Amino acid sequence: MTLSLVLQALFAGVTNGIVYALVGMGLSAIFKGSRVINAMQGEFAVIGAMMTVLLMTKSGWPYAAAIAGGAVAGALVGAFIEVAFVRFMARKNASEDSFLLLTIGLALTLSASVLFFIGRDGHLLPPLGGEGVLIVLDAVIQFHALWLIAIGIGATLALRAFYHRTTVGLSMMAASIDADGAATTGINVGHMRTFTFVLGGLLGALGGILVTPLIGVDYQLGLNLTLKGFAAAVLGGLTNPLGAAVGGLTLGLVESLAIIGISSSYKDVVAFSVLIVIMILMPQGILGRAGRRGG
Amino acid sequence: MTLRTFLWLVPCLIVWAVLPFVVPRYMADLLVFTGIYTVAGLGIGLLLGHCGIVNLAQATFYGLGAYASAYCTVMMGLPSIAGFLVGAAISMALAYIIGRPILRLTGYFLALGTLALSAIASALFFEWDWLTGGTLGIGGIPKLNLFGFLLDRPSRYYFFVWLVAFACMAVARNLVDSRSGLMLRAMRDSSTAAAALSIDLQALRTKVFVVCALFGSLAGSLFAHHASFVSTQSFTVDRSISFLLIPVIGGATSIPGIVVGALFVTFLPELLSKLGDIHQILFGLALVAVVVLMPEGLVGAFAKLRTRLAKRGSGHG
Repeated sequence: MTLSLVLQALFAGVTNGIVYALVGMGLSAIFKGSRVINAMQGEFAVIGAMMTVLLMTKSGWPYAAAIAGGAVAGALVGAFIEVAFVRFMARKNASEDSFLLLTIGLALTLSASVLFFIGRDGHLLPPLGGEGVLIVLDAVIQFHALWLIAIGIGATLALRAFYHRTTVGLSMMAASIDADGAATTGINVGHMRTFTFVLGGLLGALGGILVTPLIGVDYQLGLNLTLKGFAAAVLGGLTNPLGAAVGGLTLGLVESLAIIGISSSYKDVVAFSVLIVIMILMPQGILGRAGRRGG
Repeated sequence: MTLRTFLWLVPCLIVWAVLPFVVPRYMADLLVFTGIYTVAGLGIGLLLGHCGIVNLAQATFYGLGAYASAYCTVMMGLPSIAGFLVGAAISMALAYIIGRPILRLTGYFLALGTLALSAIASALFFEWDWLTGGTLGIGGIPKLNLFGFLLDRPSRYYFFVWLVAFACMAVARNLVDSRSGLMLRAMRDSSTAAAALSIDLQALRTKVFVVCALFGSLAGSLFAHHASFVSTQSFTVDRSISFLLIPVIGGATSIPGIVVGALFVTFLPELLSKLGDIHQILFGLALVAVVVLMPEGLVGAFAKLRTRLAKRGSGHG
């Protein structure tokens, strides 16, 4: 095992970790705001990426505009799901399990729709910053990966600022901590729940768009990203979107170190075993109780 | 048995007995699958309806049963019964070992834990190709032979599968009506109160999880002998999800509900597939509709409708 191999693995771990973090942050933002575990979070990534692909290839939009379009598509689908299904079921006091099953059903529907309307083939997007690579100690790093990391960190910081500095973000936090109290101070709790789904859709779509130049997008990508996003969110303590960022990075690094240490085919086995062990031994996530504050 | 249950049970049994001979072969085949899925779904129904546990790992035990049957009969040349027993033993042992720690989790975490378990098992089935044949699978699994009577046609195998299913229903029914069943209900409705009555929640949940794994493994073995071929595609996370849908759609607390759910997940995709490739979307939408509009499943919705009609009838009379 050489130094460059370790460096390469670490870098791959951070890159994947950021994607898991974005999906996980969306999942945990939705859970925090609505107590719904969103089993279709990975489908937001597919929607965002597919929309970007379609806008570029079919409508000829420039890349940057197509990315914005994809992200907006994710956010709109998020809003639609809240307004059309979650709100209705919440009014009937549906159980935790029913929400989980609802999102599983939506995930099946969306994945089947992509298969039906767009087809079985995978699609790629051009890498951000061109095809160039950076070579550090023999480890090859794509420019796109650097962009991905920068955007991921930027999105995390922006989310933190959003929750702590903006009125809407603070209202969303208040509504999630104490719905009745928030309503008394004039916050529209229902609207806040819709916003959490918008935010979740936006973050998921962003993750999908960023990962597509590396691995491509097809109708099956959603489930895998949902599982990894879940794992990231749980590692971070589930109710803290910023914890999910830490969780995603940890998961990505553990996976890539498992590839060097054991074998690439056991990547998922290691990732999910770590998830089970952490859930049993550290039910608050790897950040402990501290991670539940803020975010 | 009251006269009333007797009156509806007899026609049901007659229909059940005649059905495989009057329907086309592909439908008889689907009815065999309904029986197999009923067995697998019963275990999940027990966990969901009586313990409030979402089990997304049933494909793991289904796979263990199927591979045990395939490996014992094809690779080792043992009689079929060995496959059933080995699969059941391994599944129950695994469920016990994994169940003890994992069932300490609650709610979403537990659902996620079982989902992770299914993802791990599906990856291992794929990687351990010396045991499972990987994507190429294991073929040539013999049809079951019952004292010289070869169950080689769907119409014959149908009766065997459904007798196993009825036996499993009886076991499930006994478990629910027993002291354990009462404790389970107490635990589901208020786990704190149940714990205060010195009910060992952990042991009880593990027990039901082991029974669920046993049913899953039996269903897997039945599947292997029916399909004659097993490969990794049959034991993925998707399969775990569709197993979970059985009690959700039918109604988790009722045993007829499990049969209804099993009919739904075997027949609906087949009927919709006549409409072309759009059938998967329609299946997803049907699922969403059931979850949103009928939280207690089809059987629960039917019971509600009946009480409403009865009320209206008595109102007029």
